[in-house]
Amino acid sequence: MDLLLQLLVNGIINGSHYALLGIGFGLIFATTRIVHFAYGPIFTFAAYVGWLLAGGLGLSVWVGLTGAVATALVLGLLSYLLIYRPLELRNAPVLVPLIASLGLYIVLENLVGVIFGTGVRVVEHLDTQIFFVGPVFFTSLHVWQVISFLVLGGALSLYLRRTRIGKAILAMTDNPEMARIIGIDTLRVSLIVFAIGSMISAVPAMLILLKDGASTHMGFAAVFLAFVAVVVGGVGSLKGAAAGGFLLGLVQSLGLWQIPTEWQNSIAFIVLFLMILLRPEGLFGVRTR
Amino acid sequence: MDYLLHILVMVCLYAILASSFNLLIGFAGLFALSHAAFYALGAYAAAITTTSLGLPFPLPLLIAVVFAAVMSVLIALPALRVSGHYLVVISLALQMIVIEVILNWTSLTGGTDGISGIPAYTIGSLRLDSPGRFLLAAVPITALCFWICWRLAHSPFGRALRAMRENEDAAEAVGKNILYMKVSVFAVSAGLTAIAGVLFARYFTYVGAQSFTIDETIYVLAMVILGGTANLWGSVLGAAILVILPELLKFVALPVDIADKLRLIIYGVILILILRFRPEGLLPEPRGEKAMFVSINAQEPVGASNDLFAGSKDNVGEVILEGRNLRKSFGGITAVSDFSIILKKGQITGLIGPNGAGKTTAFNLLTGFLKPDSGEIALRGKNIIGRRPHELVGAGLARSFQDLRLFTKMTVIENVLVALPNQSGDSLFRVFFKRRHVREEERENAARAMEILRFVELHDKAYETAENLSYAEEKLLVVARLLATGAEVLLFDEPMSGLDPTTLAEIFPVIRKLAESGKAVCIIEHNLDVIKELCDVVYFLDEGRAMAVATPEELMSNPELATRYFG
Repeated sequence: MDLLLQLLVNGIINGSHYALLGIGFGLIFATTRIVHFAYGPIFTFAAYVGWLLAGGLGLSVWVGLTGAVATALVLGLLSYLLIYRPLELRNAPVLVPLIASLGLYIVLENLVGVIFGTGVRVVEHLDTQIFFVGPVFFTSLHVWQVISFLVLGGALSLYLRRTRIGKAILAMTDNPEMARIIGIDTLRVSLIVFAIGSMISAVPAMLILLKDGASTHMGFAAVFLAFVAVVVGGVGSLKGAAAGGFLLGLVQSLGLWQIPTEWQNSIAFIVLFLMILLRPEGLFGVRTR
Repeated sequence: MDYLLHILVMVCLYAILASSFNLLIGFAGLFALSHAAFYALGAYAAAITTTSLGLPFPLPLLIAVVFAAVMSVLIALPALRVSGHYLVVISLALQMIVIEVILNWTSLTGGTDGISGIPAYTIGSLRLDSPGRFLLAAVPITALCFWICWRLAHSPFGRALRAMRENEDAAEAVGKNILYMKVSVFAVSAGLTAIAGVLFARYFTYVGAQSFTIDETIYVLAMVILGGTANLWGSVLGAAILVILPELLKFVALPVDIADKLRLIIYGVILILILRFRPEGLLPEPRGEKAMFVSINAQEPVGASNDLFAGSKDNVGEVILEGRNLRKSFGGITAVSDFSIILKKGQITGLIGPNGAGKTTAFNLLTGFLKPDSGEIALRGKNIIGRRPHELVGAGLARSFQDLRLFTKMTVIENVLVALPNQSGDSLFRVFFKRRHVREEERENAARAMEILRFVELHDKAYETAENLSYAEEKLLVVARLLATGAEVLLFDEPMSGLDPTTLAEIFPVIRKLAESGKAVCIIEHNLDVIKELCDVVYFLDEGRAMAVATPEELMSNPELATRYFG
């Protein structure tokens, strides 16, 4: 029972992480229909810049976070402007931006290795608090993971609902063609979602850096799990992406009750597989046909 | 010397990987990112069967191929039911899981240590343990794999794959079994990839999980894109360039670690640049006459093809298709509430009604693209509810689409050819084992397709790419393609909208002639002049049901319907 409780808490913590990644990726995907694989290495890049500032140069964690967010922002905007935008203007088939994003993925991932070197980078001398609540234990970083999701998720939700540009984003999520017709500046909206989505990814990147350290390959898991969260939650729904992330975190974690750790990704795969089989439109998706 | 020969061996391996990947993404348009996973399955199957079981050649090869193909089908069946992005994510998941299994099932795969000591190939007493000797096995096996890809791609099956890539619904609407095509091309591609894996294991005599990561798939993807999608020589060229190019890096003094990363960065940059500036790749997909597998004499009409309209002219007025009390709703919205229709042989039936009346939904119900919530549909008295669209085309019921859905990147004649019924070349088995028969049939079919094009007067454009046609020509091609299915019930969704009077005058006789030759024709149409000119009987649809069934004259003199229609 105690174990189960601990796993449940772990599930919520990891779920927050996946949910945050999911809404960042999902926002970009739902609005622009671009499967932005480079989201993964941008996440990695952000973590390494965070490490450089907070670990390498010994500045404060907050400086590191600022650097990470700025890095993700710049890379996200550049990927849209330099890679995807020209393809969109040419009316390339949907698979073309996807393939281009894989190219970008491999470029950025290896660039990280060339610039920062391989091997795990950790920020040392962190004073992480450890909490015990009854039988359950967690650290202050875990708390931050949950808080960051609640704050950023809430802020994003308010932004989308309350502001003019947020509504334009939602309109474009609904129907890009129609959005263009009614005069929404789709270039501006696309840039904004790339900016927001990328900046969001920098926060979990920083937290993972502090928690486990950064490695050059960490981006693949990030973008893959974000993608799975979006598909499980229902393409086009940010609420779905968050729910998908939590479902993933919980199933993975509770699965450990019976299944050894090294099979965590396989559990994610099985959730995905069942979802696509049983409910292809996802948790919050709309069945189109 | 050995160094150069080693590069040649690598070119062979990647030529197999790139060609088989091209079948999937270039020809079939199936974007699966699990290529490296099947490469790994082949390599590990060979490693395990040779080391633990000690099986002799060619058993490991066969086992690897069958294993990868079976695995691909097991995974593909659910994944291929959904399309596009779902396939991407499912195949990515498969990639992850294969690596995870390899790393964690230590007793079988050696985990992170991998499997070493795989016996090299031997021919008689000659051990193929140097690059030069290994080429003795690699070259013929690569040639065989390439030949398999080539046969598959340059067959009616391959053409149907490209049609599916262009538009899945339209391919189904001309009678192609989409699921069969997807699953079989997936299996063939996986099987060939596994062969590359076996060669890998035999050449390096060692397999380890790090050789089969997602980066490997992207590497092969770059080769396919660089060489040209849907061009197999392109894949070989792409493989050669991307294997040789990074070797040049070796002449620059760089730390091994950096050089390796630089190599991958180069691939990524090439991939992006190609997509940006030459998306068709170095060797573009063959077009025009080069896209044909047989040559035909276009100038000379073939007498035998006159049977296009040889349907029996007896029993005009016989009921061919009957739909009764059909109902379909989407969520809360009822698109078709209670619709009944009878289509008779030799008659042209019109469907008119305001936008949103349910006309296209009615077509979708009748042709199996949608399943009615209730009601009955009978084709020549046989219940056809629940049957797939492609089966119905085979049974004699075909439709066109309002938004045309031509196979835009294929030639005009290919658009027609792909729609011809009962092609033995649609079956992969016959493509490989009844080659002469398929070829002869293809010759006849090509002549027949040309004849159909002549009938709609598009024969001069036979080798144009469909996307280069004018709007009126596209409409004619839609008619030609539907006609090619040979179905006796033809449903046209707005075949004449947006056409000028001259072109209309060209299409009228075509449709009339179809009815005269004994087809049951149904058209959705907005233009009342067209209805008056063509139709024997008209169904007026509104609010999801037939408000009236009458002759065009009766209908137009009905004031109530006129107000409904014109508002």
